[in-house]
Amino acid sequence: MENNIALKANHIIKHFYQPEPFKVLKDLSFEVKTGEFLTLTGKSGSGKSTLLYVLSTMDTDYEGELSINGNKLTGQTRNQLAAFRNEHIGFVFQFHYLLLEFNVLDNIMLPALKLNKKSREEIEAKAYANLKLLGMEEQALKMASKLSGGQQQRVAIARALINDPSIIMGDEPTGNLDSKNTQIVFDIFKELAHERGQTIIAVTHDDDFAKNSDRIIEMSDGIIL
Amino acid sequence: MRLSTNYKIAYVHLTSSVKQTIVALMGVVFGISMYIFLNSFVSGTNDTQTTLAFTSLAHIRIYNDGPADHTNLLKLAYGNQIAGNIRNPKVIQYTQGIKNTGAIIDLVRKQPEVTGITPQVNINVFFRNSGNKINGNLSGVDVNNENKLFNISSYMVQGKWNDLQYRPDGLIIGTDLAHTLSLHVDDNINVLTSDGVSKNYKIIGTFQTNVKSVDKTKAYLNITAARQLLSENQDYVTDLQVNIQNYQKTAPVEARIAPVIPYKVESWQESNQQLQAASSLRNIISIAVSLTILTVAGFGIYNIMNMTINEKIKEIAILKAMGFSSGDITSIFLTQAIVIGILGGLIGMITGFIIAQIINHIPFKMAGMNHLPMSYNLSDYLLAFIFGLITTLIAGYLPALKASKIDPVDIIRG
Repeated sequence: MENNIALKANHIIKHFYQPEPFKVLKDLSFEVKTGEFLTLTGKSGSGKSTLLYVLSTMDTDYEGELSINGNKLTGQTRNQLAAFRNEHIGFVFQFHYLLLEFNVLDNIMLPALKLNKKSREEIEAKAYANLKLLGMEEQALKMASKLSGGQQQRVAIARALINDPSIIMGDEPTGNLDSKNTQIVFDIFKELAHERGQTIIAVTHDDDFAKNSDRIIEMSDGIIL
Repeated sequence: MRLSTNYKIAYVHLTSSVKQTIVALMGVVFGISMYIFLNSFVSGTNDTQTTLAFTSLAHIRIYNDGPADHTNLLKLAYGNQIAGNIRNPKVIQYTQGIKNTGAIIDLVRKQPEVTGITPQVNINVFFRNSGNKINGNLSGVDVNNENKLFNISSYMVQGKWNDLQYRPDGLIIGTDLAHTLSLHVDDNINVLTSDGVSKNYKIIGTFQTNVKSVDKTKAYLNITAARQLLSENQDYVTDLQVNIQNYQKTAPVEARIAPVIPYKVESWQESNQQLQAASSLRNIISIAVSLTILTVAGFGIYNIMNMTINEKIKEIAILKAMGFSSGDITSIFLTQAIVIGILGGLIGMITGFIIAQIINHIPFKMAGMNHLPMSYNLSDYLLAFIFGLITTLIAGYLPALKASKIDPVDIIRG
């Protein structure tokens, strides 16, 4: 296995059992290189989001084998996977999902405080640096609930970056944003992938967004086209 | 630091929905304060009843129970092999009262638990005032020791208890007895014994214990005068009354002295089982009611925690996506329950004390009481706190467990 393989999926098969048995992912195998900006596209129901959640380690109910950075993740316990996600994977979702009772800074710092590898001061400095990267440093002490959608999404990205994860996963990260904010998020992702070597895997139905990424995996009915 | 992150999240949850926190808190406060109040009230009632009962009742009584029934001597000697009949058999009691009292008193005094012992000469008599007569109990007492055991001097209405010591012709009688016989202090009263001895005494005082059966029938006399009345020797005693440190723990003392004393040794529990039963029943009722209240409070907490978790289900999913383990989620919500439990417990203890104080000041003039009875036992407060904490722990643990089992994929994908 080469060092520059960030993620490897081997014969991934997944069934849904509700409302009736249905094979969603039909024997998918592919690799993602380190520093690659990958988009998953396809129609609704093609299985692209399902695949992302399998790759994210949150969904463990599949057949096949998944490894990230050479670590085999299939078969690990949920708590082991949670610890792995904490350190190696950053998430950006369509509906931001900030903790609305906390301020922006606390939201960003939480995964790092959980990881507990740096002092609070270092984490705070890192959070400010991330906010600055996203042009949000002035909002640091605002409550998360007071931000606009585009601002919330940028905070979510800043949070995803706090532990310097090797992979950043996005489920429709721009699905809820206007074109201006979409462009901002895209530029950030591109910068992260190309300048920092962080791997990006994003599900999107925005063709322009996908077209400008490094590689597109298009899915249809559970197979890669 | 990992834990402190969980604490911080728990703290934010508690403080951001203050209303819910306060409602949950009120449930615990109410449960615990009611538990404390009820138990204080019941133990106050029990204490009052005990005090009332022990105005004339000692913890242990030693007396001559009379000989065993040996009327059928033939059967005793030959068993059932012989048919015989003794007409009109009688058992003659050779000894009346307790012999060798000095030695027995010394022996009982040596027991470490014993706080006091007093000899009595109890006589069933008729109290007479011209035409009126009442069957009652005349108690010849050792004036000082009697007061040590039963604290009679505090129940005196007229006259002084100690006067009895210097007045062999004096009686101190119950207020109701005095009333029925239309007698007052310094009046004469006639006493008639079962042996037909009649003697006049002077009333030198009256007492009121608030136990009606005592106030209506009892009179006190100096023990020497009582012996004189019966023409008995100066060592004659019918009863020895013994008090010990803890009135509940009569059994070990009884077990130790009974084998070496040739008379009946009887604890108050044996002779007054109804008292013991009543206080046990009151205790059971108060514990049942207060535990019910605590359980209801527990359901309140359970409900509120469940609501909170349903509200925050997306946050829980996102925390799990970010790498918080099931244990972290449990600890976040359990911490909230524990904080509510401890805070509610502390406030509940204070509230319970205040309620007890208020109730304790409500006038209640009956059986010698002025206010509703209340006792303040540290153990009631500690138990209430512990029970409250256990209830909140259980009520918080179940929803916390549910939260920890949330599958983030289900929630985030919708």
